[in-house]
Amino acid sequence: MSDSSSSSTVPAGHPFRRKGRGTDGLFKAFFAGNAGLTVVILVLIIVFLVREGAGFFPAYRGELELYRKAGLEFVDIARKDLTAHEQMSSLLNRAYYAQVNAACRREFQRSQEATQVVGYIDDAVAPPRSALERVTEGAGEEGAPAELLKSLNARYQSLLADALAGRPGKGLPPTPHLSDEERAGLLQELGAREPLSTDEPALVIALQEQLAAKQADASEPLAGFRETINAFASASEDLDNLIYETGESVKATKEAATLHEIEVTKRDTLLAAVPGTKGAEERAQLEADAKAAVTTEPVDYRAALQPVLGRMGEFEAANARLAAALGEVKAALPSDLADEKAQRYLATFRKAEDEYGRELADTMPKMQAWDFEKPVGLGATISGFITGRDWITGGEWQDFYGIVPLFVGSLIIALIALSLAIPLGVGAAIYTNQLAGGRQQRFIKPTIEFLQAIPSVVLGFLGIAVLGTLLQETSMKDSFAWVPGFPIEQRLNMFTAGCLLGLMAIPTIFSLSEDALNNVPSAFAEASDALGASKLQTVFRVVCPAAISGILAAVLLGLGRVIGETMVVLLVAGNRIEIPDFTEGLGVFFQPAHTLTGIIAQELGEVPFGSVHYRALFVVGMVLFFIVLAINWSAQRLLHRFRIGQD
Amino acid sequence: MRNTIRFAAASLFAGAMLAATAGAQTISLKGSDTLGAKLVPQLAESFKSKNDGVKFEIAAEGSSTAFPALANGTAHIGMSSRQAKPEEITAAQAKGIKLKEIEACHDMIVVIVNKGNSVKKLTKDQVAKIFTGQVKDWSEVGGAPGAISVYTRNTSSGTYKDWQKLAMKDRNYAPSSQKLAGNEQIAEEVSKNKGGIGYVGLAYAKKSGTAPVTIDGVAPIAANARTYAYSRACYLYIPENADATAKAFADFAISPEGQKIAENLGFVPNH
Amino acid sequence: MENPEQLIRKGVHHDGLKEGLVKAFLGSLTWGIVIVALLLFGRICWDGVPVLVKPDFPFIDVAFLTEKTETLHVFDDANAERHSLPASEYYQWVDEHGADAVFNAQTYSYSGGGIAGPIVGTALLTLLSIILALFFGVAAAIYLSEYAKQGRFINLVRLAILNLAGVPSIVFGLFGFAVFVLVAPVFTDVPSDRSLFAIPLGFTWLSFQGWNSSLIAGSATLACMMLPVIITASEESLRAVPQGFREASLALGATRWHTIRKCVLPFAMPGILTSSVLSLARAAGETAPIMFTAAVAAKDDFPWEGVSGPLGVLQSQVQALPYHIYTLAARIPTSEYTQRAQYGSVFVFLLMIFMFSTLSIVLRNRVRSKLKW
Repeated sequence: MSDSSSSSTVPAGHPFRRKGRGTDGLFKAFFAGNAGLTVVILVLIIVFLVREGAGFFPAYRGELELYRKAGLEFVDIARKDLTAHEQMSSLLNRAYYAQVNAACRREFQRSQEATQVVGYIDDAVAPPRSALERVTEGAGEEGAPAELLKSLNARYQSLLADALAGRPGKGLPPTPHLSDEERAGLLQELGAREPLSTDEPALVIALQEQLAAKQADASEPLAGFRETINAFASASEDLDNLIYETGESVKATKEAATLHEIEVTKRDTLLAAVPGTKGAEERAQLEADAKAAVTTEPVDYRAALQPVLGRMGEFEAANARLAAALGEVKAALPSDLADEKAQRYLATFRKAEDEYGRELADTMPKMQAWDFEKPVGLGATISGFITGRDWITGGEWQDFYGIVPLFVGSLIIALIALSLAIPLGVGAAIYTNQLAGGRQQRFIKPTIEFLQAIPSVVLGFLGIAVLGTLLQETSMKDSFAWVPGFPIEQRLNMFTAGCLLGLMAIPTIFSLSEDALNNVPSAFAEASDALGASKLQTVFRVVCPAAISGILAAVLLGLGRVIGETMVVLLVAGNRIEIPDFTEGLGVFFQPAHTLTGIIAQELGEVPFGSVHYRALFVVGMVLFFIVLAINWSAQRLLHRFRIGQD
Repeated sequence: MRNTIRFAAASLFAGAMLAATAGAQTISLKGSDTLGAKLVPQLAESFKSKNDGVKFEIAAEGSSTAFPALANGTAHIGMSSRQAKPEEITAAQAKGIKLKEIEACHDMIVVIVNKGNSVKKLTKDQVAKIFTGQVKDWSEVGGAPGAISVYTRNTSSGTYKDWQKLAMKDRNYAPSSQKLAGNEQIAEEVSKNKGGIGYVGLAYAKKSGTAPVTIDGVAPIAANARTYAYSRACYLYIPENADATAKAFADFAISPEGQKIAENLGFVPNH
Repeated sequence: MENPEQLIRKGVHHDGLKEGLVKAFLGSLTWGIVIVALLLFGRICWDGVPVLVKPDFPFIDVAFLTEKTETLHVFDDANAERHSLPASEYYQWVDEHGADAVFNAQTYSYSGGGIAGPIVGTALLTLLSIILALFFGVAAAIYLSEYAKQGRFINLVRLAILNLAGVPSIVFGLFGFAVFVLVAPVFTDVPSDRSLFAIPLGFTWLSFQGWNSSLIAGSATLACMMLPVIITASEESLRAVPQGFREASLALGATRWHTIRKCVLPFAMPGILTSSVLSLARAAGETAPIMFTAAVAAKDDFPWEGVSGPLGVLQSQVQALPYHIYTLAARIPTSEYTQRAQYGSVFVFLLMIFMFSTLSIVLRNRVRSKLKW
């Protein structure tokens, strides 16, 4: 404050004070304006989300209308049956192979173990081997330089010796199902192999043959079952062809309509540029271009649909064939399969049969009632977005925007995170605040606060590099086979993401809960003590209930943080846009998913500005914004009530 | 004092609104990850070693990002693993930019599986069924029992669309497929998942822990480029009125030297 | 050491075993968290420290901090010896030995060289955003603590601050993208087609066409995000200045503004700056808001190279450490050759964040002990 401003050198007096008053109003207005900036930002956020979002629904409706007019929707009605049929035959196929392979488990293991050993050795000697390959291939008639060959060969031999001794990496893979002689023979053969030979070792071939023979044996008694499956599977051929052909036709219609629209837009753009031109020549050129821009006629949807709708009879026949095949397969299926897994698939099939049958019966009336001119309502578009189970973008056929899979993904991950963070965060808060000594407190608090300072992208990186792999490898161990969902197939899944988000939520919940406990007047505890309550009674019956609304608010704020978090879920959740398969029980937590935040981060940078897809992402942002707003608002309400209760 | 700082900050803020022209010697490329993750950076590095003072900015987020960027003038060269759509060309034209298409190289899309997977051969039909979700278990295509996990690129990628065309008869991907950011990530996940299957550019098929799959009896190696089922061309798009440096770089990409770099990375040269 | 309350309560009534069990259970939960936290730091340091620290003088791998990011080339030479060289050195090597001497070449994007670009970008982004946020935030706080009276406007502002603090960072990213990148105003001679609307000013146009993805757009987005924290903290610091200071100044005939400038701000400033250091750490750590507004994965130039003047710097895209880590995590595989870049970047990043955090804690304690009324 060394600079002396003009005001302080002027002696205090009337002129100065009047001048001061005048400017004071200005200053006040300036500061008020800045305070208003927060309101402006909040309003801008809402305005821009809503502006783009509001644009989404009409545009999406337009797309859906074209989807209907061009007849894509018609084909999709039939396609639903095809997909269902394929799922059904896949179930049968899986049941069949599970039954066949049940008998060959040992052969599979033996064959795999041998292959793993070969793979281990191959990996270890790969560099000199491929170098040798290139040198010998690239060499002309005079041959490769002898010195180079020699050094590469030497390198190959030394690496090979290392690998045979199991030195690199984790060592030679274990082969519990191969006998010692077999293993030794295999290693010997690999050791003696020419560097450039690509022949499989004899043992590997023999084991594959054994496996094939065993599979053939096992499938013999199941030949009837196989035929039943084949007959069932092939029943969809007609429908498949029909859908492919009509699909091509309606897609052409849609493309023609899109092209026409583009041309019209182009003409309009060119015409709009005409008034701005300077010379007559340029103007004439532009007008000519505009005229030439539209080369196609508007599409006559009714005429274009004729050939597709004209095949209704064929659709009917194909549908009847599927229904007949279902009837046949119902009768011909074996009632039981010996293998447990096979039986499970079969049971799933049995359970789905009737539903599928009903769907088949529904299809034809639906197709006949289908009308390409029926308008798509805005309400239907909006509810289609809110209840839609598909988020399909970037496809050739038709893009769909349904928020359910993303919402469910976000929700499950939040659930996992909170079920970790609530007991840990609240428990730690109670311990630190009520039970721990001063020295422990001084260590625990800063450590957990430091946890809060870790940027989420770092946690996401650790999730990919450390936690995901660690969890997956742990789940492979036989001793954990009883855990539902183990072994984990996907390294990136909801559980890993949930764990990391839990770690992020713990500090929030911890410090806010601790504050809440701190704010409980000490008179409460003292009164409780005085009445002869034990320490535990005081903590759990007096202090905690008094702080409960603060703790709940802490949990809600933690939830807000978890739902709104982006980088961890983008990196770790696995990005599968599908409603998780809840039939797997608790195993559902180990499936990958996509989230509201993740989809924005993944796709916003890639979509053209102003497109339907771009706008859909803003609507997702809007949904996210209001969810988090509602959560935070409830938390504030809780805190407010708490404050009143304290008075 | 404080006021001066404030006014400086304020004028800095206001000044930011002024447009200024970017440096001329920087070439900015946008688009396909197939080209932009490895080939173009290495072409750029090699080009830089010959032309002092040229700088590059490369953003590889998917082919669809190339054309809006070219039209807006935020990129000098677009990279694409598919041909431009008519509406993309029109959109650029409407802004007075005529795009020149340059075939940079050919690429084969290779199906990869985990190294421990016993399935190393598939038919085109099986591949289509796996990616559309009709086949869900490896035992259905002759492997050891185990669920199939499908890894795909994200929707803006040219490979995502090309694959739909080349391998899936334009049907939609299985909803259970996982959308990953780039080729490397697909290879990484497949190498970590015993039941994984994915597709990558030939340049990325060598990753340890994964194995390429032979399709209809044709192995995915450069020598089979003509007979292999899933081959496609990759393109560079450059405005006709681009500056000389950008043009020189595009020419370098298709020069024998540039093609040699492409070949080393596993792309198939044009000739 | 122990306060009287604890003395009173100690050992009065005990549940014996039950209490011990509950205490042990809650204690193990708490220490579990602490151990996980320590394991996390340990893991990062285990792989990160060797990247940054060298056994010989000057003990820090300066090159990693000062070099630009490059592709890493890993290959065998004719003697089957493995080399791993960043691109610039690799091409020299190839010029010397010929392309035929390279075997089993593998490349790893972003894994060679150093991380100077991301460090510089993050520094610029945070610096600029804290300047913006402080300017607007302190002004808003002055209004709230010095001028405002209870009323509708104040309630609205407080509501906005509360809600703004909870908005997810990705929504700020969307907002920044839609507002600063696409429609913020610029002066230009030729309005772009994208322009929302353009106002002719005679000699030039004021066109609402956005600042593109740039340093200034990213900083503005981050500033909006930090605003609620800065306002709340500044208001607290301002209110902590005793009322007597103001009353004395006003009684001496100073104007309101003069009072604020001479008698309130100087005493509140240390507190304001301290809390702003903490939000600096937050801003530096955010990825989602800058993904679409400022950051690029690869860039050869420093932001000030190849641009015309300071305005050019503001308009250039930058690399940023958090986005760089995202790229390293999502785009490239983890292997022995990429570990250096990955863990090195993460370690440097965490070190930066913790330095800011620790600094703010230390400063806070000093300010508290110094300025007591």
